[in-house]
Amino acid sequence: MSTNVSAIETPQSAAPAWTETLHEWVTTVDHKRLGILYILYGLGFLVMAGIEALIIRIQLMHAHSSFVSPQVFNRMFTMHGTTMIFFVVMPILFGFANYLVPLMIGARDMAFPRLNAFSFWLTALGGLLLYFSFLGGNGLYGAGNAPDVGWWAYAPLGAKAFSPGHSTGYWTIALLVSGFGSVGTAINIIATVLCMRCPGMHLGRMPLLAWLNFVMSGMVLIAITPLTAAQMMLLVDRYLGGHFFDTQAGGSATLWMHFFWIFGHPEVYILVIPAFAFMSEIIPVFSRKPIFGYPVMVGATVGIGFISMSVWAHHMFTVGMNSYANSFFAITTMAVGVPTGIKIFNWLGTMWGGRIQFKTPMLFSIGFLFQFLIAGLTGIIQSSVPVDWQLSLSYFVVAHFHYVIVGGILFAVFAAFYYWYPKFTGRMFSERLGKWHFWLFVIGFHMTFDVMHVPGILGMPRRIYTYEPRPGWETLNLIVTIGAFIQAAAILLFVYNLVVSYWKGAKAGNDPWDAWTLEWSVSSPPPAYNFATIPVVASRRPLWDQKHPEDPDSRYE
Amino acid sequence: MATLEVSLSRDPEGAETTQPSRAPREIEAPASTAWPLVLAFGFTLIFAGLLTSVSVSLLGVGLAVAGCAGWFREVLPSEHEVVVPVVPDQFVPVSSRRVVDRLPFAPEQVRAWLPLRTHPISAGLKGGLAGGVAMAVLACTYGLLKAGSIWYPINLLAASVYAQSLKLGASQLNAFHADSFAIALLLHALVSSGVGLLYGAMLPMFARRPIVLGGLIGPVLWSGLIYSMLSLLNPLLESHIDWLWFVASQVAFGVVAGFVVVQQPRVTTRENIAFAIRAGVEAPGIIPQRTGEERP
Repeated sequence: MSTNVSAIETPQSAAPAWTETLHEWVTTVDHKRLGILYILYGLGFLVMAGIEALIIRIQLMHAHSSFVSPQVFNRMFTMHGTTMIFFVVMPILFGFANYLVPLMIGARDMAFPRLNAFSFWLTALGGLLLYFSFLGGNGLYGAGNAPDVGWWAYAPLGAKAFSPGHSTGYWTIALLVSGFGSVGTAINIIATVLCMRCPGMHLGRMPLLAWLNFVMSGMVLIAITPLTAAQMMLLVDRYLGGHFFDTQAGGSATLWMHFFWIFGHPEVYILVIPAFAFMSEIIPVFSRKPIFGYPVMVGATVGIGFISMSVWAHHMFTVGMNSYANSFFAITTMAVGVPTGIKIFNWLGTMWGGRIQFKTPMLFSIGFLFQFLIAGLTGIIQSSVPVDWQLSLSYFVVAHFHYVIVGGILFAVFAAFYYWYPKFTGRMFSERLGKWHFWLFVIGFHMTFDVMHVPGILGMPRRIYTYEPRPGWETLNLIVTIGAFIQAAAILLFVYNLVVSYWKGAKAGNDPWDAWTLEWSVSSPPPAYNFATIPVVASRRPLWDQKHPEDPDSRYE
Repeated sequence: MATLEVSLSRDPEGAETTQPSRAPREIEAPASTAWPLVLAFGFTLIFAGLLTSVSVSLLGVGLAVAGCAGWFREVLPSEHEVVVPVVPDQFVPVSSRRVVDRLPFAPEQVRAWLPLRTHPISAGLKGGLAGGVAMAVLACTYGLLKAGSIWYPINLLAASVYAQSLKLGASQLNAFHADSFAIALLLHALVSSGVGLLYGAMLPMFARRPIVLGGLIGPVLWSGLIYSMLSLLNPLLESHIDWLWFVASQVAFGVVAGFVVVQQPRVTTRENIAFAIRAGVEAPGIIPQRTGEERP
């Protein structure tokens, strides 16, 4: 026993005061509580970003709308994009990783519990700082509050001359601070996966969720670094008279784009690889078959990790790079589709011949498969330079990446919520409400983002405040906006389901899905120590081995 | 509190029955602490002071120093931990689905890696390159017949990714351009090899009519996709394409690649063998002595 063991927790006999509960949560270093904090924090910001999206869509619902001013419109799409990427999707995915990785590899906590808390609070405070700009962004200039330079803040738009006041400063510092938090979490996940696995769990037996989060964390270390460097350089430009991105003084605006997108494109894979991880756990359980091609899935993920680092400038085909650079980035962009396609084949191979159970998590997973495939195909289309010249900066691109982020990642996140909700809370959600949520969201999603491709092909540019009533544009934009509201209604239903089921849901038990990974062997929610005795595993599906001693996987692996 | 908990452990000999093992009564866990929050808050304020007031940064420095000191005291000289009593959990993993269905592909084996026999990776590469040659011959023949130059389809292929090629005028499209040729060659070789590898992996799974799938259905579906999209996305490139010849060259690739692939000898699927063994690394004592022939 350690010499510094200062307190003994006893089983609670009475409900603690709310201040005590609050103190426990604020000071916690437990990976499960931090995971839940990440997720709740992300959900809170999802509401904010959702409201901003609805304001954007109301403004674009018909031509010559003046629902908001142009200045507010710019702030809305800037805050929506920044919030969704950095303060909704990343925290939620980090939250799931925090909660699940130690449980799935048979560990009692993350490798560095206090660093884990520090990383969460940095991320949280970064997000609060971004939204504090609504109050403090004016500075002495009265020049507007929240950032309005787009989530990419292209130079010279981010320079002091074009963005007076402090709004861009808040954007920069918020991302800087939360970036340090992301790096801390990534280091923690890598150390946990490498050093904390239970006996018998060599890398070839590790659950795919742990594998994929391991790869994602490595990518975070590589991708966040140039973003942080660029933010530092932008701060120097804005507050210390530097000229890194000042084209009038020998700087380069293109340099900012390179820095931003060498972060920005791997970031897409940083977000989607954990979504792949959810699919790789959920689809086998609801197909009642082991994952098809485990080694290939791992290899494809590592392949995506490498190739995705060499595709960033496909965001810059319209900048005017030379043809050799264009060709290189076109080919690498096409190449990254290969390992991604392999994954889709393997998920289909897992479902093929299985006894598929169409529970809510599986419905969202199937939605993910179809939609992510389409999202990938529209991405491959744009990898062709001449095609990209036609479509870049149009609503086709907006539709494409929302297909990735919403149709792919958000569907996977919903699947994960429904799949692990019983483990997090000890309660089952309402399957009926879950299915309502799924179908409403599917309808809303396709109304919005299928239709959004068409104005893009017709030439509607992105980032415009309003537009002329050209043929078709108004009707299409109206349909897109209606779809957005249907999605919002579906998300409200989802939140209602989560909240009501927490109090009134049926008891879940340890293993409600008859699953195979270690987190389902402990109580729901798991105890603070996770495992009373550290498990020893002999295959990729330790619970299968326990449930089927006559035919364990360990005999074949 | 004496507890007995069912663990997931297996004995060293790999016995397959669940053995209850004695769980500890208490477990040490890291103690809660506010110092990471204090440090994070201080760190944030240091930066926020750049936009507000130097006093905010100074407060941030103070909090950061306090946070660091508090954090160090949490872990030095020994970690501050709390003892958590173990709550008994008598859960025993049991499945309600006791019957395991077997796919009827290999009744002689309890578990089988499908396909039972597959082609080596080299088969896919050979097939892809052979298909690529067939496709190139047909495309160049088309170029000679239509434009009197084999460079016409090569420049067109390069134009799908290389902007300079797209800018070529009608007469220049028939001329040799080293950069377009290099890019077209590289692209053609890469895509042909990639699709060939895909054929090598997939055709054994469709064992009944591999040539129909790889030589006809796949290329026709692919051509249909390109046909429906290209006129919308890149009408300039689309205007140069003769679709009959396009489909013919795709089918030529598919038929030749599929034929070459299925002619290659098959090997037993060895997915269950360690990668080091498959890679030909000899490391006795490190790699388990399993050959893959031990399947029941």
